[in-house]
Amino acid sequence: MNNLHQVQEKVRQFIINTSYIPAEQVQNDTLIFAQGIMDSMGFISIIDFIEDSFSISATDNELIEANFESIDAIAQFVSRKIQLANCLST
Amino acid sequence: MVLKNNTLKPFSENILNFESVEKEVTRISGKLKDDILRVLKRKGAVIGISGGIDSSVTLALAVNALGADKVTGIMLPERDSSPESKELALKLANKFGVQTIEENITGALDGFGCYERRDAAVANVFPEYNPKDYKMKIGINHSGLSQFLPPVFSITIINWEGIEKRKILPVKEYLQIVAASNFKQRSRMSMLYYHAERMHYAMIGTPNKHEVEQGFFVKNGDGGADIMPIAHLYKSQVYQLAEYLEIPREIINRTPTSDTYTAEQTQEEFFFQMPYQEMDLIWYGLENEISADEVGRVLNKKAEEIVLIYNNLRRKQKTTEYLRMAAITY
Repeated sequence: MNNLHQVQEKVRQFIINTSYIPAEQVQNDTLIFAQGIMDSMGFISIIDFIEDSFSISATDNELIEANFESIDAIAQFVSRKIQLANCLST
Repeated sequence: MVLKNNTLKPFSENILNFESVEKEVTRISGKLKDDILRVLKRKGAVIGISGGIDSSVTLALAVNALGADKVTGIMLPERDSSPESKELALKLANKFGVQTIEENITGALDGFGCYERRDAAVANVFPEYNPKDYKMKIGINHSGLSQFLPPVFSITIINWEGIEKRKILPVKEYLQIVAASNFKQRSRMSMLYYHAERMHYAMIGTPNKHEVEQGFFVKNGDGGADIMPIAHLYKSQVYQLAEYLEIPREIINRTPTSDTYTAEQTQEEFFFQMPYQEMDLIWYGLENEISADEVGRVLNKKAEEIVLIYNNLRRKQKTTEYLRMAAITY
């Protein structure tokens, strides 16, 4: 089971590991694309990562800033999708 | 308004119109002749011709510079090429009186495993895919254009009944499809240099300004050439030269395609995401630091939209720097 904090930490570690940016330069509200921390390949990697780690598939309509602009945004998006999947399965 | 280049030309939809196309054709042709004969010390020019507007204008400029007897047009079709490409390339060559050579590179691509490697990656995404019954293409999601997020590529397969399926491409498959497809441009480059070296000619590349600066080319593929005489021209300027040089009308009217994947696909759909007329003006505005308000006013778009497109173009330029870099040496 992943709570919001755990999701945040996993996403944060993934972004630090793949961007080679020092951890102290990436806060949970840092705009990872606007500030050039992640590029287009990084974006596809994040989509793959959340699919592999949380079994979350993002649809075309969900590929928006509100869901991906920062670690916070990604974590909240993943948590919402997990909750939705849990609701549908119960 | 003062532009970056210190001219006082006001921004308008006609700002990229040459005052004299003839003057620009004469300037490029003169430089091309000097560079081939004196700088590179070669006897003529080899150009890969695809029936597209860029290679057609480049060939016409080379003929203008050197004369038809010192220019050879090479057609390089492969299994996935549109037959129209060859027909138009031949029409162009006949019009300008140049010798042509046809080299079908399908065998070379088979040898590299180009098709097999690409199709294996497609089948990873769509297990039902097989190249006999399906066509495929990849392209940038349009939804990405007006956001701060980078674009993502999706893959589309089309079955024998014309039914399409589309998915976002995972990283591994995206990279494999692109890497396998790039054998096409790199094989063409090898063949063009074979003929160039055999005749002691220069190899003339055909990319325009957008392709070079936004990274719509294959490193050491169509990005490899001795001279790129139209790399400074916006697409609408290439069309101005095409009219002046009397390129066959069918070529001028043809929608630019990628002619790389089995399904038909325009360059706009594959990469550029907007009509070239708009892209030219917005790119000019970005390069010359023209306000988004002013560009928006001319294009009848909101300034916010222009800002987002500026950001998208800056990102494309930055993320494709690697393609334009020479090998790093120590």
